[in-house]
Amino acid sequence: MSESNANFKFAFYLGCIAPNRYPGCESAAIKTCKKLGIDLLPLKGASCCPAPGAFGSIDLNVWYAMAARNLVLAEQMKMDIALLCNGCYKSIWEVNHKLKHNKDLRDGVNEVLKEIDMEYKGTCNVYHIAELLYNPKYVGAEKVRDSVTNPLTGARIAVHYGCHLTKPHKEREFEDEVMLDTEHPVWMEDLVAALGATPVEYRNKMQCCGAGGGVRGYDLVHALDITNEKLINLQEVGVDALTDICPFCQLQFDRGQIEIQEKFGVSYNLPILHYCELLGLAQGMSPQDLGLDLHGISCDPFLKKVL
Amino acid sequence: MTEKKSTTKKTESKKQDTKKVAPVKQEVKKQAAAPAPAVGSTTQQKPRVGVFICHCGTNIAGSMDIPAVQAYAETIPGVAFVDNYQYMCSTPGQGKIEKAIKDKKLTGIVVAACTPRLHEPTFRTATKEGGLNPFRFEMANIRDQNSWVHMHDREGSTEKAKDAIRIAVAKAALLQDLYPKSVPVEKTAMVVGAGVGGMQAALDLAAAGIKTYLIEADTSIGGRMSQLDKTFPTLDCSQCILTPKMVDVGRSPNIELMTWSEVHAVEGYIGNFDVTIRKKARGVLTPKEAEARGIVGGGCNGCGDCDAVCPVVKPNNFEVGMKPRKAIYINHPQVVPLIYTIDFTSCVKCGLCVTACGPEKRAIDLESKDEFITVKVGTAILATGYDIFPIENKKEWGYKRYENVITSLEFERLICASGPTGGHLVRPSDGETPKRIGFVLCAGSRDNTGIGKPYCSRFCCMYSLKHAHQIIEKIPGAVPYLFYMDIRSFGKMYEEFYYRIQDEGAKFIRGRVANILEDPKTKNLHVYTDDTLLNRPIDMEVDLVVLASAIQPSADTNRTRKLFGVSCSMDGWLLEAHPKLNPCGTTTAGVFLAGVCQGPKDIPDTVASAEGAASAASIPIHMGEVELEPYFASCIEDKCAGCGMCVNLCPYSALALVEKDGRTVMQVTEAKCKGCGTCGGFCPGGAIWMNHFTTPQIVAQIDAFLLGGEQ
Repeated sequence: MSESNANFKFAFYLGCIAPNRYPGCESAAIKTCKKLGIDLLPLKGASCCPAPGAFGSIDLNVWYAMAARNLVLAEQMKMDIALLCNGCYKSIWEVNHKLKHNKDLRDGVNEVLKEIDMEYKGTCNVYHIAELLYNPKYVGAEKVRDSVTNPLTGARIAVHYGCHLTKPHKEREFEDEVMLDTEHPVWMEDLVAALGATPVEYRNKMQCCGAGGGVRGYDLVHALDITNEKLINLQEVGVDALTDICPFCQLQFDRGQIEIQEKFGVSYNLPILHYCELLGLAQGMSPQDLGLDLHGISCDPFLKKVL
Repeated sequence: MTEKKSTTKKTESKKQDTKKVAPVKQEVKKQAAAPAPAVGSTTQQKPRVGVFICHCGTNIAGSMDIPAVQAYAETIPGVAFVDNYQYMCSTPGQGKIEKAIKDKKLTGIVVAACTPRLHEPTFRTATKEGGLNPFRFEMANIRDQNSWVHMHDREGSTEKAKDAIRIAVAKAALLQDLYPKSVPVEKTAMVVGAGVGGMQAALDLAAAGIKTYLIEADTSIGGRMSQLDKTFPTLDCSQCILTPKMVDVGRSPNIELMTWSEVHAVEGYIGNFDVTIRKKARGVLTPKEAEARGIVGGGCNGCGDCDAVCPVVKPNNFEVGMKPRKAIYINHPQVVPLIYTIDFTSCVKCGLCVTACGPEKRAIDLESKDEFITVKVGTAILATGYDIFPIENKKEWGYKRYENVITSLEFERLICASGPTGGHLVRPSDGETPKRIGFVLCAGSRDNTGIGKPYCSRFCCMYSLKHAHQIIEKIPGAVPYLFYMDIRSFGKMYEEFYYRIQDEGAKFIRGRVANILEDPKTKNLHVYTDDTLLNRPIDMEVDLVVLASAIQPSADTNRTRKLFGVSCSMDGWLLEAHPKLNPCGTTTAGVFLAGVCQGPKDIPDTVASAEGAASAASIPIHMGEVELEPYFASCIEDKCAGCGMCVNLCPYSALALVEKDGRTVMQVTEAKCKGCGTCGGFCPGGAIWMNHFTTPQIVAQIDAFLLGGEQ
């Protein structure tokens, strides 16, 4: 928050999937960011973001009010929010943006929040950790490169951006304009290259993972079909791992591969790592610290290559 | 408190009255040569203002209480007569004004109606017909700025109309007789840009006996049309119909063609523009220039010997970079003028071309520099055309990322017999003939994402139909797939052409293309869209994709328009004086627009617009003189301290300091002054008198508003 001091402090919003399914993401984010001059402090009492597809498509007012409550917790800490999930980004960033710009909505939400003695004021901003890592104002690819002690040399890594961070394009605002490219972004590839790995382009990179918007919950086979198509495209170019910036996408690719094997009889065994986990490896954290043994698809072939 | 205010005001206005005397006397002196003022029209006389309220059908009357406005107007001090009518601009409406001036001995006229932009000339004429000086007319805008915006607030708009009329009356009471000045018009014209529009305008002006300077930034004329293979819907060969015009331009004794040149500076005003042209260093002499240097029978004859020996290879822009050219080059074999040009940004000055050119012609001068020439013209036409929108910005279609995604302009060159492949359409990736070709229409046009252009580029539908026809004709078994939003076939014989292409076997898929993906092995492309007529998603594999890219104003348009004082609309196209009734004119008198620089047009519309612009630009020249509005500033010499601040502020260089009776005072060149008021507002001594916007007039208007009528 302070411009002059390189040490930034953020209220760290965990979301649901990271702490429950991939706790490694959580520890990786806190530890890697610490080395890059960012303190992620716990946002105590936070609830589900709530999920934009599951809640937003059924009752927008519930979505607004719950997200606003999380925002108020950060306002009370007098801090901006950092988070590591695209779904959380859509809920928390977008509701914050809407409430800041729509007085009627803000008044309505505050009426609800009054029942729990809270008031949304609109004093905090919301950032995705990938954004903080890429934007030189906070960290930047150069600083990421400098923090690497164990370069991932030789690893071919593809990027899955996910949908909700950069889309809908018209409703997004980023401090770094490079991130406004929603059709063929390459900024995450820069971050992958900063770790010493080789970023790999593949067919239809910007396709959805298949899980979002409630599809996974509603029609698993349909969701897996989309995931399968992405995995075919990845197999086509040959990669050692896929990195993502969203635990829900990670869940779909990682656990999804097991489900694909069950339902379609195809196996890929492609290791899936959140960028924070990848960064942790490159900074010398152990796979156990990163909880990589909790992944559905074994990361061992990848680890053998880079460790 | 109000009482106090009004007393102060009274004394102030008295003071101003005395102040006013000096400039008024000066006016009379200045206007000695002007026609005698109408009888009884001096400022000393007690004002008798006539107010005329227009209903504009229901445009005004539907949203306010006209009788209440009229009743109020009758109470305003200085008002001698009030009337209202359904359409004041009609003949009976104007007749009311003329009659009232005579019957009621009016000294000033207020019409409360629409805008001065629309009807000031109408009512000034009526005022003049009634026997008053036309500048004794003032307009109160109670439509565009009132009834239209407060359509549902009858009470509010009625009150606002009362205010507007009270303010207008305050000014009308103080208006003075003014006489427009006539200036002679130079009998020459200039056209900027020598595409088909600029050439047509220049040819028309030349045919009307007007000497015309035709300025072209490129090395040869013909513009975009010369890059096209065929034209729709007639399927004429574009070069074949254009070349005769190009030759005519080159031969016309009344056209002075300057290629590889651009407008550098513009000074002056209608009738008397001084335009400085930068002739970019060409490195090659024309026969005329050679003769001037004493090289008789020398100069470039277009033989191409220099081209053959030049060691530098660069992409040819005329071929959209798909063919090489040398550092010394011509765009294509039919260029007018047939004079080579050296691209000094890549020339290594090895001198091989000088040797090849030989001692007789001696056409090459490697040391040539930019030259600046100033010419005087009466009127000017801008015909600066368009560029292709950088369609790589729409990343979802992969232009510049996938080899087999090309633009329509590249397609034109590839299908053209004189193009880089001799007219054989090939895939850039492997040189194979494509069989399945996808056309993405509205590529970057009608695009509200903020990346593309919100407007329709207007000719892409039609040329894409033509492209479809060309591949069916040239490549046996080839199928064109057109991905479209709507097919806009609006012109003469266009819809018929659309049906013809359907019958020839082109496939039409109504859907915007979401994205295009390349198969890395075959370099074929998958076009993803929705077929919105069959309501199903489409994944179409094609060999080649042609993007019918949007167009945008040419790169230099913005710089050029600023030199001529022409505005542009939000989308960058140059702004016409009126979109419907004056599409060729601009708000700068004497400057006109031709062709696409005003907005997307196909060739017939461009030519029509160019002929319109040429006609409009020839009128002041044939009239011989133009009237300038008498809104110029003048100096009250007794008060002028000669500080010269105003001279530096004037954006039109209309002011200067002169010695007069042993004192330094400011002097105005009236023909140059646009009456902007910058100097008048600034002058620390109040020594500048702005005609028609005098300080007493403006103060009276402000008082009328602030004091709510309590004079």
